[in-house]
Amino acid sequence: MPEKKRGNALGLWFFRISLRLFGLSGAYGLLYFVCLYYLLFDRRAVSSAMAYAERRFRTFNTFRKYYAVYRLFVSQGKNLIDRHYIISGLGRFDIELQGYDRIKSLFNDSRKGVILLTAHVGNWQVTMTALEKLGKKVYLLMSPEENAAVRNSLNIDEENEKVRIISPDNFLGGVVEIMKAIDEGDIVSIMGDRSYGHSTAEVNLMGEKAYFPYSAFSIAAAAGCPVVVLLTAKTATKKYFVDISCVIEPKLTSRARKREELAGYVQEYANALEKYSGTYPFQWFLFHDIWKDEGNKRRI
Amino acid sequence: MGTEGVQDLARIRKTLKELLVKDLSLEDITPEEIKDDEVLFGEGLGLDSLDAVEIVVILQRNFGLDVKDMENRKDIFYSIDSLARYVFESRKDSVSDG
Repeated sequence: MPEKKRGNALGLWFFRISLRLFGLSGAYGLLYFVCLYYLLFDRRAVSSAMAYAERRFRTFNTFRKYYAVYRLFVSQGKNLIDRHYIISGLGRFDIELQGYDRIKSLFNDSRKGVILLTAHVGNWQVTMTALEKLGKKVYLLMSPEENAAVRNSLNIDEENEKVRIISPDNFLGGVVEIMKAIDEGDIVSIMGDRSYGHSTAEVNLMGEKAYFPYSAFSIAAAAGCPVVVLLTAKTATKKYFVDISCVIEPKLTSRARKREELAGYVQEYANALEKYSGTYPFQWFLFHDIWKDEGNKRRI
Repeated sequence: MGTEGVQDLARIRKTLKELLVKDLSLEDITPEEIKDDEVLFGEGLGLDSLDAVEIVVILQRNFGLDVKDMENRKDIFYSIDSLARYVFESRKDSVSDG
C-alpha cells in the first residue's frame, strides 16, 4: 500500500508565498505551527519517527522524546523548503564538500564508476549538485513515479543528460542497467538505509539489531567498484555540509565467507550513519522502523 | 546449425552450469542436475536480482561479453539455454565482424 503523502495544495501554496514574501526564515517560521499539528494529530507520522527517537534519545523521558520527534519534523520541513527554494531559482546554498579529492582520485585510478550510497539524511537531493563538477552521469535507483519531488529537485526530465533514473521495477531490479552504468564509469546512487522489501543484512545500530539492504555492496563487489557513502547535513540557514570521505571497497575473498564479509561492509556503513546521527541527531529522517525484523527471505 | 555448432552450444551450456553452481554458491544442486530449459529467476532455480549481478559478471569475464549489449534483453536471462544461445550468437557475430 503506498504511503500517505502529507501536505495539500493550499498548504504548499502558503509555503511558496511566504518563501517569496519573507524568504527562508519566514517560511521556516510557518513550519513550527504545521509540525506541531502533525505532532499532535498525525499518530502515524509520530509513530514512524519514534522508532529512531527511542534508540537515539534513549535517556530522554517521554516528553523529551516527543520533543525530539517534533524537531525531526521541523528539520525535515526546512530541508523540503530549501529544496523548493533552489527549484524556484530564489537562491543557492553554500556547500562545504569533504572528500572530493578522494572520489576524484578514484575516478582517475579506474575507468569504472562508483556506487554512491546515500541515506535519508540532510538534503541529499540538493547536495548531489555538488558532484556535478565530476562531469559524470548520475543514475538514481528509484521508481520514477515514487518521488516526484526528487525528479523536480534534480530537474530530471527527458532533456537532462546528467541525471537519470534506473527503476528497481525494471527486469531483475535494474541490475543490468546498474552494471552498465558502472562499466561506463558513471555514478549509481542507491539509498542504503531502508530495504523496501529487498535482501537485508543484520547490523548493530545504536546498541540493537537493525536491518539494512546489502545489495549495494554485493553489486560493488561483483562489479569491482567502490562504494562511496554520501552524508549531508544542514549546518546553517544557507549552508550544507556534504561528506563523501567514507569509501568502502568491498572484496569478497571466498564464496564460503561471502555472507559474513557482506555483513561486515554493511556494518561499516551503519557505523558511519551512527556517527553521523551523533553529530546531527535531528537530520536523519528515518521514518521507518529498521530495527523491526520483517522476516526478509534473504537475510545475512 | 551444423554439428559443430550443436556441440559448441552444448559445451557453453555445460560451462555455464558449472560457473553458476560455483560462482553463485548454489547449494544442494550439481551442474548436471540443472536442466537446459529450467527457469533461472523466480520459479525454477529460484535466483534473484543479486544473482543476476553475478551472471552478468560471468558473461563478461568468461565469455568476453559487453554488458551494454545485454540491456533491454530480458530474454537472455530466461534459462541456461537462452544464456548459452546468447553467448553462442555473440561469439558468432564477433567472428563475422572481425
